[in-house]
Amino acid sequence: MVGDNGNNEIRIGVFLCHCGSNIAGVVDPREIAEYAATLPNVVRSVDTMYACADSGQSLIKEEIQKHNLNRVVVSACSVRMHEPTFRAVVKEAGLNPFLMEMANIREQCTWAHGHHPEEALEKAKSLTAAAVAKARFLTPLDMIKVPVTQKAMVVGGGVAGINAALDLADQGVETILVEKEPTIGGVMAQLNKTFPTMDCSI
Amino acid sequence: MVDASRHPKVDVRTYTEVERVEGFVGNFKAQLREKARFVFEDRCNGCGDCAEVCPIEVPNYFELNIAPRKAIDVAMSQSVPLVYNIDMDSCIECYQCVEACGELDAIDFSMEDKLVWEDIGSIVIATGFNHFDPSAMTEYGYGRFPNVITAMEMERLNNSAGPTGGNLIRPSDGKNPESIAIINCVGSRDKRFNPSCSNFCCMYAIKNAVLLKQAYPDMELSVYYIDIRTPSKGYEEFYDRARKLGIRFIQGRPGLITEDPETQNVFVHSEDRDLGRVTEREYDMVMLNQAAIPQPDADTISSVLNITQSPGGWFMEYHPKLRPLDTPTDGIFLAGACQGPKDIPSSVAQGAGAAARAGRVVHSEEWEIEPTVAVVWEDRCISAEGKKCGVCVRACPYGSILYEEGKAPEIVTAKCHGCGGCVAECPHNAITQLHFTDAQILAQIQTLLADKPEEKILAFRCHWCSYGGADLAGVSHFDYSANERGLRVMCSARMDADFIYEAFRLGAGAVLFSGCHPQDCHYITGQRVGAKRAKRMLKQFERVGMTSGRFRIEWISAAEGDKYARVVNEMQDVLDSIPEEELQEEIEKLQPYMEKRARRMREVPQIEEAASFAEKIALGHGTQDPAST
Ligand SMILES: Cc1cc2nc3c(=O)[nH]c(=O)nc-3n(C[C@H](O)[C@H](O)[C@H](O)COP(=O)(O)OP(=O)(O)OC[C@H]3O[C@@H](n4cnc5c(N)ncnc54)[C@H](O)[C@@H]3O)c2cc1C
Ligand code: SF4
Ligand code: SF4
Ligand code: SF4
Repeated sequence: MVGDNGNNEIRIGVFLCHCGSNIAGVVDPREIAEYAATLPNVVRSVDTMYACADSGQSLIKEEIQKHNLNRVVVSACSVRMHEPTFRAVVKEAGLNPFLMEMANIREQCTWAHGHHPEEALEKAKSLTAAAVAKARFLTPLDMIKVPVTQKAMVVGGGVAGINAALDLADQGVETILVEKEPTIGGVMAQLNKTFPTMDCSI
Repeated sequence: MVDASRHPKVDVRTYTEVERVEGFVGNFKAQLREKARFVFEDRCNGCGDCAEVCPIEVPNYFELNIAPRKAIDVAMSQSVPLVYNIDMDSCIECYQCVEACGELDAIDFSMEDKLVWEDIGSIVIATGFNHFDPSAMTEYGYGRFPNVITAMEMERLNNSAGPTGGNLIRPSDGKNPESIAIINCVGSRDKRFNPSCSNFCCMYAIKNAVLLKQAYPDMELSVYYIDIRTPSKGYEEFYDRARKLGIRFIQGRPGLITEDPETQNVFVHSEDRDLGRVTEREYDMVMLNQAAIPQPDADTISSVLNITQSPGGWFMEYHPKLRPLDTPTDGIFLAGACQGPKDIPSSVAQGAGAAARAGRVVHSEEWEIEPTVAVVWEDRCISAEGKKCGVCVRACPYGSILYEEGKAPEIVTAKCHGCGGCVAECPHNAITQLHFTDAQILAQIQTLLADKPEEKILAFRCHWCSYGGADLAGVSHFDYSANERGLRVMCSARMDADFIYEAFRLGAGAVLFSGCHPQDCHYITGQRVGAKRAKRMLKQFERVGMTSGRFRIEWISAAEGDKYARVVNEMQDVLDSIPEEELQEEIEKLQPYMEKRARRMREVPQIEEAASFAEKIALGHGTQDPAST
């Protein structure tokens, strides 16, 4: 399989985050890093205090460039938290953002298994290895770009829809306001004076 | 209202409905039905001469049917546009209106509904809410006692633009009422009808009481409530003002309303928390604050636009905190009460917000979509060989697969949301999902089960809900079995049967199949596709003698961290309850079955390579010398 940066060989870099004591307070990230270094295709395996901080991000970028890495595994927190962050980091280093894979060893490991550090360590290694396993098969992907029709449609001509349509129109957007009744206005048009201002509602 | 009709860039289409929407973000095609008005919009000047001569009266929806309109009429004098329309169901075709219209010649009896297509870049849905019909609550006598009216009827009766010109009269005898009871939470916060709070009725109860008190200072006004909810800015102060005006607030939910058949006065029977007893008080009139409910056609709209609904039927936002105005369908946004009851200030704010969100799309030259989409391998598809299939088409919640018999299906990439349903459903592994390929997922499965698989609980979780639930379990520090090994796909639809067979073939102790609750599914019906498959497998496993609980299906939302932890622990209990040798025996006994079932998996490219990786790395047995760290 061909790497993104011209290599014919898969070169994976694994980054183990301490997350202060959030991870390192339960398992030793260095131990996981040492283990990860033994996995096929892993050419670099390093730990860092905070992978998401500036220092951690710079480290990842430097390592990518220095060691010609073409896949990155960040073993840290939840993808729901930092996948966009690390995708951006590898992109800045010249790699395709989809060549990054995360292992969640914080929310789904050390935070849940804080009282069982040995089992947590074994699980963290296993989750990291699984991310490496997936990373070997990652392929560069491009965002799909589609053209855009510069016209909007608002369905429903109550107070919410009228305001949305007017705002879109004021932004210069041609807007169709679709209302199923013979008049716009919605419920508000039927009301007497309205709170909080107690003025007439139309 | 008028601003909208005057704005050169707003094209107001009233009496129009959305029939169909096709396409995808930036490239929607909407089919609109412009219903026949029988009056030309560009000729009618709103003079009303036609209605004057029309002999037919029908109930006016705008006046909640408490006042009439003519067969040819407008909803109200401030209608926008001020164009008349004929109610053909009641019109007797006497053509007097045509005559009255005269030279303007605005009336055309031959008009028909028109279907038009429009190209649209982004859509805002703002279809609002509807009112609960209190006649369902027989204890309140609405519909039987003329002096029991709804809040909406009150809005029209006590309104200078309303049918009585603002003179508030009792329906039974036309007299001005001297006392009115206002009852909150009618059909709201009531398990029989709508368990949730309707958000704005407390405030309009206070509003109407204040307006009535100002107009009729001697009127006796009582508001019956469970709790008064006034959380927005200035609302509590408004409540305070109402109390100072002498409006009586009685904490208690009325259980019964009766009527004096003679005077047609009404009696409200209710607990009064302050007095600590049940009271019966007499009023001239009662106003019921009916619950706000979803529009009756909300289901249709959600299926036409491919969006989802929350349990109560309101349209569902992408994320309640982080993306409250987006829907799961890219390019479609929500504003106002259609997403859940909200008052005018919030509806206006959402309208502005949704316009900004929709504007982001239409102002872009191009729009970027995540490339984690489905891709077809033509040479594996049996349809391309001329055999009947099309299984994939039925799995797709977005209609993004174009299928013609005798050909491989074509996936409209921009419409594909990447649930992976078609990928998992295709019986011939002829479709893959980028970034979630079979090889990638299999490599994870193999690796997670490389060491002592019989002790492991392999957990498939969908990205949106169950992965979030697992995160929350950690965030909350719920201790669950560390034998759990999780892996993530976007939707339970992607959880391929082969993955599960493969996991058991490898000797997994237990497998969890976990996704969103059906109503939370981020891919409309993806969860259902996954659920159907999982249930089928559960039955198969039962039949072949797998200990119950080793394969488990659970729907866990991102808010259910406790449930995630509990489910994993219960699965651990199941494993603990089987003696080691027995489990080993069962695994071995079932292996040939799993092997046979998972056979197709082996035909997928890269699978062998994925498996060999796992073999090499069985925990602690890395094959490489440690790289310098
Ligand atoms: C009795 C009462 C008193 C109230 N008093 C106040 C008050 O004093 N102050 C306050 O802030 N709020 C008040 N409210 C709340 C207020 O009515 C809502 O906040 C507001 O109407 C919500 O606006 P909307 O545009 O979201 O929905 P709506 O007003 O319901 O408008 C929705 C519009 O969409 C149209 N529509 C629906 N379906 C379709 C479709 N399929 N295709 C095309 N068009 C469609 C409808 O015909 C309607 O015109 C009151 C509510 C009630 C019931
Ligand atoms: S807003 Fe007040 S009256 Fe309306 S349902 Fe909620 S608590 Fe009841
Ligand atoms: S089923 Fe899912 S993955 Fe397949 S084409 Fe439809 S949206 Fe895409
Ligand atoms: S399900 Fe698979 S084999 Fe059947 S038509 Fe779709 S791609 Fe072809």
